[in-house]
Amino acid sequence: MKKSLIDIVLDPKKLSVVFQPIFRVEHQLEVYALEALVRGPAGTNIQRADILFDYVRRKKAEAEMDRSCLSAICSAALKVPSQLSINVNVHAWTLGCSAEFVDFFFKKLRNYNLRPERFTIEIVEHAPTCNVPELMDSIARLRDSGVSIALDDVGLGQSNYRMMLDCDPDYFKLDAYFARNLGADARRRAVVQSVVTLADAMDTLVVAEGIETPEDLVEVGRSGIELVQANILCPAMPIGELLVAGFRAPGSNRPGPMEVLAPEVKMSSTRLAKCVVP
Amino acid sequence: MKSRILILEDDDQLVRSYKEFFSDEGYEVDCAQEVEEAEALLAHFPYSLVITDLRLSKLGFSGLDFIKHVRQVSAQTRIIVLTGYSWPEIEAEALACKIDAFVKKPTQLQELADTIDMLIGVPA
Repeated sequence: MKKSLIDIVLDPKKLSVVFQPIFRVEHQLEVYALEALVRGPAGTNIQRADILFDYVRRKKAEAEMDRSCLSAICSAALKVPSQLSINVNVHAWTLGCSAEFVDFFFKKLRNYNLRPERFTIEIVEHAPTCNVPELMDSIARLRDSGVSIALDDVGLGQSNYRMMLDCDPDYFKLDAYFARNLGADARRRAVVQSVVTLADAMDTLVVAEGIETPEDLVEVGRSGIELVQANILCPAMPIGELLVAGFRAPGSNRPGPMEVLAPEVKMSSTRLAKCVVP
Repeated sequence: MKSRILILEDDDQLVRSYKEFFSDEGYEVDCAQEVEEAEALLAHFPYSLVITDLRLSKLGFSGLDFIKHVRQVSAQTRIIVLTGYSWPEIEAEALACKIDAFVKKPTQLQELADTIDMLIGVPA
């Protein structure tokens, strides 16, 4: 019997995992963590991540997809240097309405002999969370095991102030929209500054995503943001290619950060110190 | 730039035929076999034209829901409805959604291509 598209998509073996480095702005752009990104089955209409997850949300299969992605990521993570932490995207809906996800998460990590302290869960929210107490409980259980929490797409959609208070994340991931043309846009700078100020007050770090120009990168650094994730520094790649490329974009002439992967670095904040893999 | 067309069809054989024929005609062709797949594609690509069967065998008359969705997403996208059934009430509802053409199945691919050409022009 022919498999439906959703059945194909939910098979971890049909997914591919790429990783994109998150860099520290200071400290010679050392690699701070890797975000694991999943691509859909090759040769289908939904190979692209944005279309894949759009399809999954329309099928209301977020929880099943998050489990499938986690399985694929754990398998790929075996090749990631052990001192690097790994960010995994999980829907808020999954954490709030699928009680067994956290158990599944811990079981998968045990199966692959991966330490929970290496992981950061990036909470993705595209729909109102159905069960906030359940979400809070899931986050608490993850935290108790050393997992860090990030709030994705801050400034957009459902990633609002309430989520910031309820989740108390270790990171805000500031959406690419806010870094665009930052140098020339005073209003954008004001918004970014407000997020940085809020993060400082909450003892939370900010990761600026999707920076497209060196000028915007400089401006992000000036605003006090400590962590960046950008194709101009290094696009997402399979882990093997990332290691060969030295965590650099093709054609980049900046020094490779391979020599600064060691976790013993000067910390610029106590929060940063807490989040580095021991 | 090639015109991009989206075909919603759950028959594997027809999907292969459409993709091959209309690609050869010079269009960018995406074929979706589920409504949710088609809706996800619509959200990410600008389609000049959508072709949908009115009735998708496993899903009842979801072709009609899909037509309404296309109209919500884009008033400019042209819509051709294919149907092998005679359901006057459903056809009337489809026409009320401002579809651009009704084509009765079975139809020759060239006849369908001629209808597409009429609606969005011949590819360069």
